[in-house]
Amino acid sequence: MSEPDGVREFLLAFADDEHLMGQQHTEWIGVAPFLEEDLAFSSIGQDELGHAALLYELVLERDGIEPTDTAVDALAYGRPSTDYRCCHLVEHTTQDWAEALVRHWIYDTFEEMRWQLVADSSLPKLASVAGKALREEAFHRRHADALLDKLLASPEARERIAVALEAVTPLVSGLCESVAGEAEALSQGLASASTASLLTPLEQAIDERFSRPGTQPSSAVVSEDHSDRAGGSTEGQRARTSRSADFEPLLARMREVLDYDVEAVW
Amino acid sequence: MHVYEVFIKKDGRDEFRHVGALEAATDELALVLAREGYLRRAEGDRLWVVRRDHVIVADDGFVSPNADKPHRHHDGAAVAAHRKAARQGRQ
Repeated sequence: MSEPDGVREFLLAFADDEHLMGQQHTEWIGVAPFLEEDLAFSSIGQDELGHAALLYELVLERDGIEPTDTAVDALAYGRPSTDYRCCHLVEHTTQDWAEALVRHWIYDTFEEMRWQLVADSSLPKLASVAGKALREEAFHRRHADALLDKLLASPEARERIAVALEAVTPLVSGLCESVAGEAEALSQGLASASTASLLTPLEQAIDERFSRPGTQPSSAVVSEDHSDRAGGSTEGQRARTSRSADFEPLLARMREVLDYDVEAVW
Repeated sequence: MHVYEVFIKKDGRDEFRHVGALEAATDELALVLAREGYLRRAEGDRLWVVRRDHVIVADDGFVSPNADKPHRHHDGAAVAAHRKAARQGRQ
């Protein structure tokens, strides 16, 4: 079997992460802890869905397919589960607001670093999308930080966030897992460094964020095994080709309306 | 939690307009929640949030006497109406 197209894998992994993260955030509409947060969190989710749509267009262009809305939908929703490249962090389905908030902060911190990797990409359209996305990410982080600043000052909330952190941090290494063929894509200038290279700075950022005065550093963050840290790892989530148990129900929820009439024109 | 009043304006035109209110735990949260709640479709370029308990509010009776001073209306219409009513009262 020949090595996969690393550029396509990289774009697809990025798009799938954005798509699923956006979907998970928007599912808080109507059930977030208070009305204002309900609106804000789903609005942030819509930003991620917008990024996903732009990245799917780049994948389609690489495939030589005109990126019409129908083609984007087919790519976003119509693949067998083995063709998705998302990580388990974004597949993780939770009813716990603390977990959603902790993941929001971690994911957006990572996402900002990931866009920076491609800000000067040899793929001009990707660099252009990065410029737009980075302007939005600063606000996503600010939203998450404002909530965490307030909540971490309260003992009860701090305890719940610590529990959430224990649940979410094992999924962080998978978030930073490189795709197959990524080294080749890097040699073509697609990105300035590997996805795997973001693991160490991300862990440091997590430690700093959640160990500020009054909070306990999470042991999960520092004790996790990073033997697969070398770029282009095929361990762990097997270069993002393995799906967690949460994936199929999530895809079914995303396809719920589409499946009523897959030919419908909106 | 505090209630914040939200004002927005388009750059270079119109004045700040009151668009609603929200509840937030801190000033920073009020800003980020207002941004997503009231400006996500580019409804404005500038944003003010003001804590409702920081607004200085006049008593109900403080302004109302000014509602009956037609001589302060420049276009004359109110004065004319006032005089016409007075004339008709004499007939």
